[in-house]
Amino acid sequence: MVKEELANRPDNTAFTQQRLPAWQPMLSAGIVIPGFVIIGLAFIGIGVALFVTSQSIQLLELDYTGVEQTSPCFKCSDPNAKNCMCELTFSTDTLFKGPVFFYYGLSNYFQNYRSYGVSKDDDQLSGNLDNFKSPSDTCAPYEYDRNNKPFVPCGAVANSLFNDTFKLYQIVNGAKKVVPLDGKGISWWTDYNIKYRNPAVTPLKNAFNGTVKPLYWSKPAYELDPSDPANNGFINQDFLVWMRRAALPDFRKLYRRITDGDYAEGLPAGNYSLQIAYNYPVLSFEGRKKVVFSNVSWMGGKNEFLGIAYLVIGSLCVVMSVVMLIVYAKFKFPEEE
Amino acid sequence: MAKESVESGLTWEVRANSRPYHKHKQKKSFLCFHWGRYADNLVCSYKYSPLTFLPLTLFEQFQRVANLYFLLMVVLQCVPVISSIPWYITIIPLLSVLSARGLKDLANDLTRRRSDTEINSRPCDVLLSQSFSTMQWKDLFVGDVLRIHKDQVIPADILLLCSSEPHSLCYVETADIDGETNLKYRQALSATHNELTSHPTEEALAAFDGVVLCEEPNNRLYTFRGQLHWRRECLLLDHEHILLRGTVLRNTEFAYGLTIYTGADTKILRNCGKLRVKRTQTEKVFNRLVMGIVLSVLLAALLLAIGSGVFSSWVMSNTGVLSALVVNGNPAYTGFLIFWSYIILLSPAMPIALYITFELIHTVHSLFIGWDMEMYWQPADRPAQARNTSMSEELGQVGYLLSDKTGTLTQNRLLFRQCCIAGEIYGDASVLAEDTEPMDLSWNPFSCGGLFMSATSLVEKLRGQQCPLSRQFLTALALCHTVMAEWKEEAPVYQAASPDEEALVGAARELGWVFLSRTRDFIVVSELGVTRQYQLLALLDFTSQRRCMSVLVREPEGGLKLYCKGADIVILERLQKDCPYQERIERSLELFAQACLRTLCVAVRSVPEASWEQWSKTLAQSAAMATCDRDVLLEKLYDQMERDLQLLGVTAIEDRLQEGVPETIALLKQAGLKVWVLTGDKKETAVNIGYSCKLLDPDTRLLEWHELREILQSPDPGVSFFKARQTELWAVDKGRDGEKTAVVLTGPELAEFDQRPEWGATFMSLAEQCQSVLCCRVTPGQKADIVTLVRKHTSSVTMSIGDGANDVNMIKTAHVGVGIAGVEGGQAVQNADFALSQFRFLQRLLLVHGRWSYRRISLFLRYFLFKTCGFALVHIWFGIFNGCSAQSLYETWFIALYTVFYTATPIMLVAFFEQDVSAESSLKWPELYKSGQRQELSSPLMLSLSLLYAVYASLVLFFIPFGVFYDTAVDYQTMAVTVAMAATFTATIEIVLVTRYWTKFNIASVCVSVVLFFICTRITHNPRLFQKSPQDYLFLGVSDKAFVDPLVWLTALLTAWMAVLPSVTALALNVILTVHDKHKVHSASHQPVELRSKLRRGTSLRRSSYALSQGAGPGRFITSGTCSRSTAPPVDEKMTSNNNPTDSQGQINMKDNSDAPNGTQ
Repeated sequence: MVKEELANRPDNTAFTQQRLPAWQPMLSAGIVIPGFVIIGLAFIGIGVALFVTSQSIQLLELDYTGVEQTSPCFKCSDPNAKNCMCELTFSTDTLFKGPVFFYYGLSNYFQNYRSYGVSKDDDQLSGNLDNFKSPSDTCAPYEYDRNNKPFVPCGAVANSLFNDTFKLYQIVNGAKKVVPLDGKGISWWTDYNIKYRNPAVTPLKNAFNGTVKPLYWSKPAYELDPSDPANNGFINQDFLVWMRRAALPDFRKLYRRITDGDYAEGLPAGNYSLQIAYNYPVLSFEGRKKVVFSNVSWMGGKNEFLGIAYLVIGSLCVVMSVVMLIVYAKFKFPEEE
Repeated sequence: MAKESVESGLTWEVRANSRPYHKHKQKKSFLCFHWGRYADNLVCSYKYSPLTFLPLTLFEQFQRVANLYFLLMVVLQCVPVISSIPWYITIIPLLSVLSARGLKDLANDLTRRRSDTEINSRPCDVLLSQSFSTMQWKDLFVGDVLRIHKDQVIPADILLLCSSEPHSLCYVETADIDGETNLKYRQALSATHNELTSHPTEEALAAFDGVVLCEEPNNRLYTFRGQLHWRRECLLLDHEHILLRGTVLRNTEFAYGLTIYTGADTKILRNCGKLRVKRTQTEKVFNRLVMGIVLSVLLAALLLAIGSGVFSSWVMSNTGVLSALVVNGNPAYTGFLIFWSYIILLSPAMPIALYITFELIHTVHSLFIGWDMEMYWQPADRPAQARNTSMSEELGQVGYLLSDKTGTLTQNRLLFRQCCIAGEIYGDASVLAEDTEPMDLSWNPFSCGGLFMSATSLVEKLRGQQCPLSRQFLTALALCHTVMAEWKEEAPVYQAASPDEEALVGAARELGWVFLSRTRDFIVVSELGVTRQYQLLALLDFTSQRRCMSVLVREPEGGLKLYCKGADIVILERLQKDCPYQERIERSLELFAQACLRTLCVAVRSVPEASWEQWSKTLAQSAAMATCDRDVLLEKLYDQMERDLQLLGVTAIEDRLQEGVPETIALLKQAGLKVWVLTGDKKETAVNIGYSCKLLDPDTRLLEWHELREILQSPDPGVSFFKARQTELWAVDKGRDGEKTAVVLTGPELAEFDQRPEWGATFMSLAEQCQSVLCCRVTPGQKADIVTLVRKHTSSVTMSIGDGANDVNMIKTAHVGVGIAGVEGGQAVQNADFALSQFRFLQRLLLVHGRWSYRRISLFLRYFLFKTCGFALVHIWFGIFNGCSAQSLYETWFIALYTVFYTATPIMLVAFFEQDVSAESSLKWPELYKSGQRQELSSPLMLSLSLLYAVYASLVLFFIPFGVFYDTAVDYQTMAVTVAMAATFTATIEIVLVTRYWTKFNIASVCVSVVLFFICTRITHNPRLFQKSPQDYLFLGVSDKAFVDPLVWLTALLTAWMAVLPSVTALALNVILTVHDKHKVHSASHQPVELRSKLRRGTSLRRSSYALSQGAGPGRFITSGTCSRSTAPPVDEKMTSNNNPTDSQGQINMKDNSDAPNGTQ
């Protein structure tokens, strides 16, 4: 009966009375200062490891834009030159440890421009034939050509596919020895197996009936690698690598790996020659092209920034802990006296 | 006549019994046009009708800038060209916010509508064609003649025409208007009384055709000017003839009145103030900041848009691939579109989730207030209630507490607790009244309890007839007063104009001296069962100047005695020389004063017959003189009579405070609150309560108006104020406690502020140095004016607390209004933001809930600002490196989920549970409350710092991954995931730093949020979802790679640590620098709250207060015989019949000489 009368009585629980058991860490100088030291030291440790690892990575960069007249590719940098080839030579003094990754690099190239990035049709690229005939309007203005035929693959990203090709030779006693380049598996597994699909039409060419190749392409998609059906059409590795947009205007993309034959251990010391089919224009927008040879470690490619950043922040923490100690001492001791 | 009245300002015309005339002129309105003159009696406090609800609520809600902003976002996101984020991310939260608010408003409005209907449909009797018929309040018109029953609430301001009582007197209780519970007298004009009561009332009233000309409706409760034109006579009316709406008719069978003002024109409604939407200080600061953020976002978007235009034009001329993407080949147009895109992209900096969460947190805080067992009042089964659920943090910043007195600080119960008779002290005030052992008073047939004094020795002395002084003392108590006795069920029920007198007479009754009845000339008292009749020769009434009252009586034995009671200072200087026991009585006065009891000295004098005759003659002469001189003369005459007194003793009355009031006030004062008392009650009472509830210290110097005015008028108020308190204190205390000054003001004095607005600022700067300010005799409107004054001249948060209808206005006006849910009607609670059952719960509401709430909400706002801005502003920096193309650095899913899933719950739980110190410690160290008053956590500076910190974090969030990924093979999507991861980590580390009170929920929510980030990311990157809808789940497979990439992890960790480094450093420095301070605080303030007043030798602690109605007492009614009730006890019948109902003009407290000396045979 009493309970009925007190209908409005609040519940006496830990939650309603705000008496939930709780852990209230009491911070003190004895925890804070050593904490800073430990974190600082940990960062310095990581920084040293990163830095050392980064230093051990071999890296070779060759700019082949052909800006300077002395550059072998200078002749190709003329926009009117067609099917221009140029050759770069370089040498290594020591063994370039394998597996060696072969990148091409572009700078001042805005693959992260928004309207560029959205200019593709993901349905089309996953093999949807309907979108072959009528691409999504996100592809605009690379949707239809003048005759109102759809571009396949449509959109700006595909249209701007990087189309320089490279061949690497080792010069052994004046003779050129081909260094085999492995183009398999350079794209992401998910891209190759899920995201991009060729239409289930054999031969592949038939699927492209009534469509045109992108404006800047020299050959249609189904002829990207006629020798290997698993590397043709939308699942061509170079195409896939290009379609994965770069984050920043200066970027590299993996071109090949050197893993086979005599070069599985790396590039031995010696002279090399790189033959370039120079097609991709970059000078108009003050861009640069380069090739990069690099081997990798657990942390990927060479990256000095991260190691240095860790070292700087780690040292900062340690310095701060010292400052705090001084401040603490100043505040504490007068009082104790 | 009309001309004259216009000239004198009496332009309000009311014609009795002419309904059609007034109906024609009734106030009407359509849309915004109003015409007509007389308001109807319909109270209409609701806002919406079914038709207007939707447009009005939308209009109101879109007045909030934030809502408008979000609406704009939704519209923008629906435009495909610019939408950088899907539209549904904003519209769903916006709709839920709008509908939640709308429903809440609707619910409130319905409650108001219901209470309005309840009031509007109350019944009242209206005279319609010769007879009274019951109508509802809302159907009342100006000019109607009403009949009011006993205990009925008066429906409008009416002119009293006549009543069922003799001389058309009637009694009203004005508790709802001024908080006083004692009865007030109102008397009709003798003209109307004579004419209208002579015939059958209804006929006479129906024929009544007077015209009242009076002033326009106004809010002055204590004045009324008007004329009644009737039968070619012009009779003057003042507020004594008016019954105000909201007062209650008491002790009067019927009262008849003419309706003068109705509805919105009535004085009480004019005093009500407007309903205003309250916004908290924090919200205001925050809103300003939000505006700042929005403007900065606009600016940033503009700059980026310009950048985009420049980039486009560069691209057009150079890059073949991109040039085709420039919309319409027009860089300016592209820039224009990009501008809007960026606004959308940056809008998460100020997400709508903030407002939803804000509301939710407020609601939970309000629930906590309602759930608190310590604020639950078991006797009434009433928990505390947060009626306005969006104000809780304001409770943590209150600087000024403006309190009502009656019903809030005091219970309005006066108890006779102690007395000192002939140097002997009886009773013990240190024992709580409830704990007093009840005395055995069964020998007294009239005893009916209510005496909280245990003094068996006194009773023995009285019954044993040992001590003549104590007998005289009680005789004095039973005789010297203006109380009326009404007989109900064989026992006298006392009706007193002042609760003090009621207590004294009641105490005398308990002790055997029973006041039985009074007539114009006689007072009948039963002394220990023996009925004795005293002839009342003169009543020297109380005035606030005299501060005492006396009765001159002829004893049944024939001797003349003057019994006098009054303030100690007044009585002590009128004593005969070498009065016995004087020293001991004076010491007892001090003791009583220390116990905060109200004291009155009681004295007696035997008057020789000769001097009485002489005196009464002079009195009769001076009574016939002109008014102004007469008062002076009368006072002089009274002085002559009240001299050579013999001191009998001292009474000590306790004005019962509400439970825990002194402790609460002491605590709140320690917490830095200024407590002011605003009351409609008398100055003496207010000051006394100020002392007894420890608002004023015993040695506090009271600064009254005349001094204050000198200070205010002086060229340098600060200096003169300092001087004023310096000189006074020099003698007393050598200026040690120089700050102990309090200002005492009364209503009329406050009215001067209206004419001198420049005094406001000066006054406030003085008041800030004072302990307190007491405002007495103030109307509800003035209470609100004082609140406005404080609000205007300080930046502090004001809080009003009250319990009655007279407090509604100030409750509405203050930043925070608290209503005490008391015995009286719930008007105050209805209008309050918080409702409490006890004043003492205020300490918990402010110091615990308020402090916590303020801290929690400040932390919440600062953290929220940090995490959303830090996360969204990244796009500005990214824009520099993507051609300002409004490319998002995050996956759209992450943007949508970040504020909702990954970072929402931990901060919400902090905002629910965070406690830096426990409730007990908050009450133990009230000083902690001061940080809220200084807005330490939510000042614009602090919020701006958070914003700055967020900008820093966004820089770090972008530029460290930028440095790592620059010129590498890492793609955009991996970078997006890395930055997202870093942002999540940053937010998580920051919340870990913010949280000090880790309940299991906090720990769980922090863990779950981080885990949720990984799970949700994995889910949205799932191939199956991609296959279903390739457009929406473009990031498939990214997390597969990124989450196992050490580079991504190391980058995210470094970024997060770097981003929170300032916060960690600040925390560490704080720990190092304040650890000693804390020790000091903990060790220094261990003394418990001091409740006993410090006693200083040589300081007079005595104070005596005699609370009677301001101005003249009701003595004139008594002596004029108008109050003699026909319900006298049987023993008294002879006397009553003897007493012919004289209709004396009796403005003098003296009977005509002729019938006085030989009245009793």
